[in-house]
Amino acid sequence: MIASTLSAIVIITLASGLALALVQARRWRAGRAADVDLIAGLKALPRRYLVDVHDVVERKPFNSRFHALTAGGFLASLALIPLLAIPAFRHWTVWGLLSLALVAMLAGSLMVGWRRRVEKPAELSKGRFSRLPFALLAYATAFLVVALDQTAGGVLPWQLSLALVLVGAWGCAELVLGVWKGPLKHAVHGALHLIAHPRPERFHDGLGRDTALRPLNLETNGKLGAERPLDFDWNRLLGFDACVQCGRCETACPAYAAGLPLNPKKLIQDLVTGLEDGADDSSYAGNNHPGRPLGLAHGSPGQPVIGPMIHPDTLWACTTCRACVQECPMMIEHVDAVIDLRRFQTLELGATPGKAAGVLEELKATDNPGGQPLSRRLDWAVDLSLPILADQDRCDVLLWLGDGAFDLRTQRSLRALVLLLRRAGIDFAVLGPEELDCGDVARRLGDEATFQDLARRNVSTLRRYAFSRIVTADPHALHTLRHEYKPFGLDVPVIHHTAFLLDLLQAGKLTVTAANGTSVTYHDPCYLGRYNGEIDAPRALLDAIGVERVEMERSGLRSSCCGGGGGAPLTDVAGKRRIPDVRMDHARATGAATVAVACPNCALMLEGVVGSRPQVAEIAELVLAATESPK
Amino acid sequence: MSPVEALLRPLKIKHLTIRNRVMSTSHAPSYGSDGKPKERYQLYHEEKAKGGIGLTMFGGSSSVALDSPAAPWNQISVADDSVIPFFQEFADRVHQHGAALMIQLTHMGRRTKWDTENWLPTMSASPKREPASRSIPKEMEDTDIRRIIADYAAAARRCKEGGLDGFELSAAHGHLIDQFWSPSVNKRTDKYGGSLENRMRFGIEVLEACREAVGDDYIIGMRMSGDELIDDGLTHEDCVAITRTYAERGLIDFANVLGGQARDHLAHAIVLPNMSFPVAPFLFLASAIKREVDIPIFHAQRVTDLNTAGRAVAEGHVDMVAMTRAHIADPHLVRKLMEGRIDDIRQCVGAGYCIDRIYAGGDALCIQNAATGRERTMPHVIPKATEKKRVVVVGGGPGGLEAARVCAERGHSVVLFEKNAVTGGQINIAAKATWREALTGITRWLTQQAAKSGAELRLGTEATPATIEAEKPDVIILATGGHPSHGDVKGADLAVTTWDMLSGKVEPAENILIYDGTGQHHAPSCAEFLAKRGALVEIATQDRMVAEEVGATNQPIHLRELYKLGVVLSPNLQLTEIYREGNKLVAVLKNEFTHEEEERLVDQVVVEFGTLPNEALYFDLKESSINRGEMDLHALVEGRPQPHKVNGHGGSALYRIGDGVAGRNIHAAIYDAARLCKDL
Repeated sequence: MIASTLSAIVIITLASGLALALVQARRWRAGRAADVDLIAGLKALPRRYLVDVHDVVERKPFNSRFHALTAGGFLASLALIPLLAIPAFRHWTVWGLLSLALVAMLAGSLMVGWRRRVEKPAELSKGRFSRLPFALLAYATAFLVVALDQTAGGVLPWQLSLALVLVGAWGCAELVLGVWKGPLKHAVHGALHLIAHPRPERFHDGLGRDTALRPLNLETNGKLGAERPLDFDWNRLLGFDACVQCGRCETACPAYAAGLPLNPKKLIQDLVTGLEDGADDSSYAGNNHPGRPLGLAHGSPGQPVIGPMIHPDTLWACTTCRACVQECPMMIEHVDAVIDLRRFQTLELGATPGKAAGVLEELKATDNPGGQPLSRRLDWAVDLSLPILADQDRCDVLLWLGDGAFDLRTQRSLRALVLLLRRAGIDFAVLGPEELDCGDVARRLGDEATFQDLARRNVSTLRRYAFSRIVTADPHALHTLRHEYKPFGLDVPVIHHTAFLLDLLQAGKLTVTAANGTSVTYHDPCYLGRYNGEIDAPRALLDAIGVERVEMERSGLRSSCCGGGGGAPLTDVAGKRRIPDVRMDHARATGAATVAVACPNCALMLEGVVGSRPQVAEIAELVLAATESPK
Repeated sequence: MSPVEALLRPLKIKHLTIRNRVMSTSHAPSYGSDGKPKERYQLYHEEKAKGGIGLTMFGGSSSVALDSPAAPWNQISVADDSVIPFFQEFADRVHQHGAALMIQLTHMGRRTKWDTENWLPTMSASPKREPASRSIPKEMEDTDIRRIIADYAAAARRCKEGGLDGFELSAAHGHLIDQFWSPSVNKRTDKYGGSLENRMRFGIEVLEACREAVGDDYIIGMRMSGDELIDDGLTHEDCVAITRTYAERGLIDFANVLGGQARDHLAHAIVLPNMSFPVAPFLFLASAIKREVDIPIFHAQRVTDLNTAGRAVAEGHVDMVAMTRAHIADPHLVRKLMEGRIDDIRQCVGAGYCIDRIYAGGDALCIQNAATGRERTMPHVIPKATEKKRVVVVGGGPGGLEAARVCAERGHSVVLFEKNAVTGGQINIAAKATWREALTGITRWLTQQAAKSGAELRLGTEATPATIEAEKPDVIILATGGHPSHGDVKGADLAVTTWDMLSGKVEPAENILIYDGTGQHHAPSCAEFLAKRGALVEIATQDRMVAEEVGATNQPIHLRELYKLGVVLSPNLQLTEIYREGNKLVAVLKNEFTHEEEERLVDQVVVEFGTLPNEALYFDLKESSINRGEMDLHALVEGRPQPHKVNGHGGSALYRIGDGVAGRNIHAAIYDAARLCKDL
């Protein structure tokens, strides 16, 4: 009797859960069509979960363990209990297996309880999530007692067993029906998202990394970018709906840390909330965008997102650093969402804020963000007499200078790099006045049209010449030229100067003669580290010139942004602090004398920090001081 | 983009691209030797090239002819081919650092002396005496004109063969070409005099001959006034017409425009403005000419800071800004701009020490930068020491601060004691005197740099043997400065000193006699200070003129101010006695030539007899030091480290510098410090 009651309750609950999930699926299925290979995704699902998701979750080992115990025990119990509907399976061995599963789940549930009710990290959402430990414990404990009793042959009075089943049933309902806007929504949507992910190449079964923005079809008659929730592709909406509100993105977000009005978790939740007609954010129980009260955001699937649901400051505070994406165990692509929304704001509404609008105008008129004549790109290098590619048609290395060539600070590191190339006897040239802005800033500000225009013209210039590789000191240009020009027909190796200089040192073309010997901490540029996975070469280069390298708490792929990406210095959304000030605190904490940077934006942002601080040096400058030509 | 960044735009003139808009004009630092720019001269300009300057021009008033002697101010003679190899060496030296190099060519006409080199009469358009040089020239006849034009052309060829990037002809400061231009000098009635067209003719013929010698693709410029600022001289309209005429004929590729002229003492002080002037006082003249012509315009005249320079270019007033004295103070000015270290630039304060020394027969030296002009022995960038020492410096005047700065940059651990609450020493007193205020820039920079390099400045803390010993120093440097001397005349104790007045310790009375025993800035600037507070002031001195030791760009300003304030100037009188009479004082003055005595009945006698060293601390420490306070002068002068070995705390070496040894001046204190400390 106990077995049939138990199994019936669980089967009914699972069926209800499935029904709810199906109803709920209508929300994200309403999104735009997307090109998805579901069969391949389905096949890849188990390994994506075990490899890619596990890789993220494992960064917090305690969480990884309680998740394995709780989810593993719970899923095993949900598989075993329906078997009890069949009398042949009502054997003590099945009850025994069920007991084992529930013991595991109980252990995990206690850990969940510890975390949610005792530790209470700030980034976790409260509300229904706070009831989660009770539901888990009710389910695991009550059903465990029943299962143990049945394993032992059933010694408890039936009234007590029934009461226990009912207690467990509440837990089961709370959990399973939680697929409807509850904590367990993530289980269903997460699995579906892994199957239908918009960037399948990011998983280990693909390239392992996929960070380039997708070209927007500008020829369409439809809307450019996303205005309403319904304007996102359906699998993007599915991704948003998979959010488990764990707050890892919130902890990693540099804008949030500086008190800018952006919490990536809330941004995703805003988009989720907007999937319901007439919904508002009053039931959201996590941290909001800093400085903004709850209850103001409201929307519907067919209503504009920016304005009623998400304040423009939130949208434009993002530096596109991908720290949120890097940390998300649900593989959500926050930055893609931000760019989709920005594209509509910029291309359809012309609502790019702050100085960004002026910069886009300059880009359109002059092909560089500062509005400088292109003929002035080499002004800083008159005494270096840089070879111009147009004068010689071919070279080994094309040095892509970037728009830093117009900036006093960056000119210093470019000068160091040029002197190093000379020292090593490299056959290099520059495009000079033919080099246009690469389009990174325009693209991140949502101006896809200007980006594509610059990309096409740069690609057509580059294809006229013969060279074997491009070297650049600007990770934004590197990322754009390496990945985002591919759809426009460029396919040449693009190398960051840190990797190139490391090669020169290793090949003996530069010799270390004055080892640095001071303490240096290296700040990873987002577009080199997270976007391109290059975190080792700069470190090896610093080690090679003899620095005493110390690491910041956030470094490598989990480094924290300087605040200089995504056009954020132009949109200039105010927060409690400036993002580079926060980052400089990380550097100060190491006690290092120098912060080494490898990106012109990082140099500018970090050097703009006032007060006593480590000095900021571009790696090329440090290498120049430490090396000589081989004797 | 900030205006200073406009300075970093290249400028293209014909084939030459100058890497930025900052230059140094041709001047005469008196570094020439046998009429040639040899090592010292070349190193001086090479340092600016290393420091990032776009164009450096050397050889102010380099002479093209035998009757324009190169001997005064150890100038360069381009009057024969023997100079060409030196030009080639010079050009290579500057070009390797990416800077351009040009020279100034001139015939000085009447603006020189006939008895300095070849004993040939001076030449000019008309035989009118020049007030400054006191020479009465020969009126040039047609053969002179032809010969000198040919001399110019030959000199032009030598510049090109020497690998220089170009040259400018001086037609400013009253040289031969502008002697022809200026109606105040040119009284001729032939085709070279009369109308402006006729007065321009000589210059045109010179330039045509030069063009023929070097071709159209060589760069020739002209240094000229934008307005002579005298009643019978060239007006601004004349100067615009001259520039336009020469430029439109393709004779010149740039004009280097200044304001004023230099034929008399005050004009000289105005054309080389000191710290009493605002910055860039004559930029408007260059700007006005730029509006009228299509050639690049260069300009110099007290542009001492990069922001002013940047605005001059960014706002389109001029194409190149000359920061000549600014580079004497800091030849690495442009590099520091490029490195984002504007705060580290040692800014020219406009003391005029560099140029004043030339007119007193010396070489150009910077009041605050001891390395300028001494590049062979003194570094502009202080190298790190191999061994770290503990250094105690006593005294926060210019000498002590420079010692602390250099030692800290060497990497030593430095503690500086200054008994006053602020650094600056005697400069703080000198700067009280009206327009001398900018002197504080010297010690402000030194203080900032010493602190930035890691020296610990203990202000308001008097050093004692015990507090010094507590630091366990390897080296003790005493820069304790001096105290004012009352002199040894009878009744000297009745006198107060210029220090008492300037520092405010003594209130000025109604009727004051200042006695100047040094001929320096102190007495005249104190007189001005007192007269501006309403006192009736007389300056007496045994010298032939008040402020006799003050050079040509500062003395005229002192004299102008003193005359304007009604101060009575009484030279040739020696103070022999002071005695009290009632509540007044009687000063007895003896005429230097007649030995007759005069008396003055005044409320106060203020004396200036220089300083005597503060040496008590030195003698307290002398016997316990390992070298008994003695400096090895041979090592010092030859740029070798002092031989006194100190390792750990085996005793301290003791040195004293500046006025703490004997009263001298700011440069002496800074040179004492830098010369000693660069080798510590």
